[in-house]
Amino acid sequence: MAVYKRGYRRYAGPLTGRWTRFMVLPRYSWERLYQQRLVVLLTMAAFIWPLLCAAFIYLTNHAELLQGLEPEFRAFIQVDGRFFSIFMYVQAGAAVFLAAMAGPGLVAPDLANNALPLYFSRPLTRWSYALSRLTVIVGMLSVITWVPGLILFGLQVALAGGWWFLANWTLGAGMVVGFLLWLLVLSLVAMASSAYVKWRVVAGAVSLAFFFILAGIGAMIDEVLRVSWGHLIDPAWSVNRVWCTLLGVDPPNGPGAVASIVALSGLIALLVVVIERKLRPVEVVR
Amino acid sequence: MDNIAVVDLENLKVTLGRREILHGITCRLGVSGKGKAIGLLGPNGAGKSTLILTLLGFLRPSAGRARILGLDCRRSMGEARSKIGYMPENDSFIGEMTAVTFLRQMAELSGLPPKAALEKAHEVLFHVGLGEARYRQLRTYSLGMKQMAKLAQAIVHGPELVVLDEPTNGLDPAARRRMLKLVTEMKNEQGMNVIVCSHLLRDIELVCDEAVILKDGLIVHHCNLEEERRSNRSFVELEVTGDDRNLRAALPEIGAEGVSEGAGRWRIVLPAGVEVEAIWGLAARQDLLVRKLTHRRDTLEEIFLKAMGHLAHTPGEGAALDAGSSTPPSSLEAGRP
Repeated sequence: MAVYKRGYRRYAGPLTGRWTRFMVLPRYSWERLYQQRLVVLLTMAAFIWPLLCAAFIYLTNHAELLQGLEPEFRAFIQVDGRFFSIFMYVQAGAAVFLAAMAGPGLVAPDLANNALPLYFSRPLTRWSYALSRLTVIVGMLSVITWVPGLILFGLQVALAGGWWFLANWTLGAGMVVGFLLWLLVLSLVAMASSAYVKWRVVAGAVSLAFFFILAGIGAMIDEVLRVSWGHLIDPAWSVNRVWCTLLGVDPPNGPGAVASIVALSGLIALLVVVIERKLRPVEVVR
Repeated sequence: MDNIAVVDLENLKVTLGRREILHGITCRLGVSGKGKAIGLLGPNGAGKSTLILTLLGFLRPSAGRARILGLDCRRSMGEARSKIGYMPENDSFIGEMTAVTFLRQMAELSGLPPKAALEKAHEVLFHVGLGEARYRQLRTYSLGMKQMAKLAQAIVHGPELVVLDEPTNGLDPAARRRMLKLVTEMKNEQGMNVIVCSHLLRDIELVCDEAVILKDGLIVHHCNLEEERRSNRSFVELEVTGDDRNLRAALPEIGAEGVSEGAGRWRIVLPAGVEVEAIWGLAARQDLLVRKLTHRRDTLEEIFLKAMGHLAHTPGEGAALDAGSSTPPSSLEAGRP
């Protein structure tokens, strides 16, 4: 029977599970995000560098193609920690722009339209709402970060053989952990700016400016006070410091990986508090 | 299941900041699964919205306990929320979404599988009269359409209990009638329990079976409108010229009772089944000339005003007592719509 002919009847069928319900918001958000041409274009552009890296891996594993090159140069082009760190820098940069573009659309529309009471009157807690919104951006950025990174790692293993995997498996694990740390910071910054700035364009600009401003403040502290811990204020620097340890490459001058992790943990905790204060079904005027 | 109250409050206290909004409310409202509507009335600042937000688990009680459909509002809120539909007072939607997508998402969040959610979204949009506009973005809707869309999202998953906060706000008379008709259908045909929070007494009168009046964070009156309706009394204000000394004695002939206010003015209570024509006949038999006759039903407004302390008693009630009338005060006190 056509839907307009039958009257309304209460639903009495089976209900879906907890995880299916949790994924409802990410599904709808992804659908809306990938309807934006700019997001699709930026995502596609972010695959150019992984493709070039794949070509590089192919070349390094086919000695016959490199026969005409200088021995020093042949020794220089290797798939090692340095290679993966360069791959990660480029993809992390792309992730910043994609997060600034997609992030503001996460929470701001719900706050602007007062939709939170509708969500929270359903079997969805504040934490599951926040996590599902976080899943949107982490999932979206994963497509251009650790997923292609793992594919490159797998390609290298496939071409170089099992011995290479046994000697370098920490590179794969470090890359995934390093990227996830960066995505967590990016997502929380995007969510926090989205929660506080209801105008999307401004929210995007705020999440971009966040990294530049903190980097500037960090450098200023170092110069003025002639210290090195000012870098810790800059989350990009701190994440980079952690990556260097994870991938076994030469770290930049400044505080160590442990100090960077502590600084990042503090920033993450601060962002969680900021988001928690905003994501409430009703605003209580005390 | 039959004995589970829709709302069960035990010494419920809610504090916002340093201010205590609800001061230890205790009551049992409605019976789960019976398809009844409960009206929540009260002036601004009485605590109606605070009570609703507490029942939805948005606010934490500072003391006491609140249960909704037998489930504790703190410990079992997840389970309770899957049985509740909520229509907030203010605009709440996602402007960039079409009505169908919005409702489908809300239904899926409540646990409906995607296919069933899509079907129900279409079904409920036709039900509330938005069938033709279901592919339009919600931000393009008029105020009345937005109200209907809010109602639609509250019932799309077929909840046991629907909480409606000022459902007729901003609606024109036709849309208001439609909204009230839908609410009545929800309880009568779908067996849903409904809590209606409204400033409009007429709306509560029309759709509710029970009414609770809140004032300053306390329940000042709880009446069963269904019983009041069933008793079907009505009131007559009569003004006559002539010798009306025998009128009091004559009133029981038609089963009525009344009190004289002097100068030919009377207040008369008619029991169920007695029409106002009987007064005309009685006046004629007593050779009285009727100068004015106002027939009205006792309204919730009267109950509300009494509960608020604006009205000392039902008109005629005090006079009846003064005159030593046999009219029991309780029967006059318990007004009816």
